[in-house]
Amino acid sequence: MTTSRKHIVATLAAAMALAGPAWAEGELNIYNWGNYTNPKLIEKFEKEFDVKVNLDGYDSNEIMLAKVREGNSGYDIVVPSDSTAAIMVEQGLLAETKPNEMENFSNMDPKWVDVYWDPGRNYTVPWQWGTTAFTVDKDVYDGDIDTLALLFEPPEELKGRINMLSDMPEVINAALRYRGYDRCNNNTDELRDVTELLIAAKPNWRTMDYATIEKLTSGDVDLSQTWNGAAMRAREQRPTLVYAYPKEGFTGWMDNAAVLAEAPNMENAKLFMNFIMAPENAALISNFARYANGITGSEEFMDEEMRTAPEIVMPADAPAPDFVQPCPQEVTDLYNRIWTKLKQ
Amino acid sequence: MAEPTQTPATEASPDPVPKRRRRMKDLRKQPGFDTIAWICLFFLYAPIAVLIVFSFNDNRSVVKWTEFSLRWYRAAFDNDGIREATIVSLQVAGVAAVFATTFATMAALATTRVRAFKGQTLAYAVINQPLMVPEIVTAVATLALFGLIKQATGVTGIGYLMMAHTVFCIPFAYMPIRARLEDMNLTLEQAAADLYATPFQVFRRVTMPLMAPGIVAGAMLAFVVSLDDVIITLLVAGPGETTLPVYILGQIRRGITPEINAVSTVLLGLSVVLVSIFFLIGNKKRA
Repeated sequence: MTTSRKHIVATLAAAMALAGPAWAEGELNIYNWGNYTNPKLIEKFEKEFDVKVNLDGYDSNEIMLAKVREGNSGYDIVVPSDSTAAIMVEQGLLAETKPNEMENFSNMDPKWVDVYWDPGRNYTVPWQWGTTAFTVDKDVYDGDIDTLALLFEPPEELKGRINMLSDMPEVINAALRYRGYDRCNNNTDELRDVTELLIAAKPNWRTMDYATIEKLTSGDVDLSQTWNGAAMRAREQRPTLVYAYPKEGFTGWMDNAAVLAEAPNMENAKLFMNFIMAPENAALISNFARYANGITGSEEFMDEEMRTAPEIVMPADAPAPDFVQPCPQEVTDLYNRIWTKLKQ
Repeated sequence: MAEPTQTPATEASPDPVPKRRRRMKDLRKQPGFDTIAWICLFFLYAPIAVLIVFSFNDNRSVVKWTEFSLRWYRAAFDNDGIREATIVSLQVAGVAAVFATTFATMAALATTRVRAFKGQTLAYAVINQPLMVPEIVTAVATLALFGLIKQATGVTGIGYLMMAHTVFCIPFAYMPIRARLEDMNLTLEQAAADLYATPFQVFRRVTMPLMAPGIVAGAMLAFVVSLDDVIITLLVAGPGETTLPVYILGQIRRGITPEINAVSTVLLGLSVVLVSIFFLIGNKKRA
């Protein structure tokens, strides 16, 4: 036994010796959503600029924000969603890298320049954007799908066959839209009505889960609230799924690359920001992550099914996606109470 | 965990084995024992079986079977993210297990091989603190502390993550070692001392070999606990320090691929091999 333990210790010591950090001349530390970054994009950037890229993933804006707020996270690039980007700009966590003066800025679709989270684009560049609505199996329900009634007052076929996102803003905003109320609402009467609507609808929901692709493709549910890119990938395995553009409205979102104010590799980070605004590079992101990117001219480098997918290319008569700003604390507190009640 | 003497490495223990066996037999005769045991085994192993089966699935889905294929094993092996995360996981777990076991051994000796002292219960409580405090609290506190240290010293690196893992692994390593020490009575050590062995010789020749199974069990437990950890790692890890569980967690939003099943199956196979080796070594000694 003693000798075998010595062997283990020796092996571990050897493993530790190998653990020394790989060192390159220049480095770039990217902190992005998990499984969201095309390895080919990273490879291309490393080759072009002779930079070693470290890539790590997070699963929520909150985790990323918590680490960045504590300081000295060591990261250069982060990819916050629109409302989180607004918070980060306001709190001075991002470096004013002036993407609007960079060489490739001319490629950015003008409709994404004056956005609420970064008017004029002084801090951020688009990574991917998409919509959050729901997708439903046409074989199970063949009526009109472009309405939120399917979530809150479902027809007989869909009762107990629904997955909702386990996401407070998405669920509450959908309910507010269905009732025609404002977002970031603090009207107690309207919120009471919404609470009743949600609680009445809950027995018809089978699950509340982020793993929407698995839920749909396993046949566990026939309708799921989901993101458009996820809907497309679910359809590849279950061709009868159709993504809805509800007439009451649906969420639009954009994840944005941004440089941290305390970035250790500031120059490389700026190079990267300019790099992803080139159409062929933006297309690399989209081909992997399966969402649109906001860079004009990137379409011609994108996979054929991306250019024609009904989940990505919105029909002309669909309402404009609703980008929801971060709500004041008072409203968030009210929402939290509704959410807690709903989750009981 | 509470009875480390039941691990494969029991060979050195002079336990009254027949007595224990009789007790086990009685328990097995209780009504419903078989049913409950099978239900427990099913719930423990059915998910793992499903995971393994779908790692060989040709489809992208982790829930619908099409046909047998090894493509996800190839994909996982070619996936830089998975490979790097696995290496980081093994490094962190290895270092944390070594240090945590060392500290736990010292702590176990200091709390059992001495006369009862004032504050002994307090000492147990302090050592086991990471088991009592919710992990998220430890994680946030560690994040804040490390943030301060990094600001003051400018030192960064994977050392922080290894340190954090070492700390929460200590109680897991401590428990089997202490249980082992409490099982060993002091007579052998006293006999050695009577025969003019110095305290160090007593430790080296008597105490250490006897407590070795406890140490091995403790180290394995610490290794596995470190390998498993998500919450603390998620908050403490810096650039390039993604461990496998954190990597897997990051995939959930965008859909899990059977690559994850393949990696998990490989890790599972590795731990089965490890445990079997310990078991075989134990058996050989007994024979």
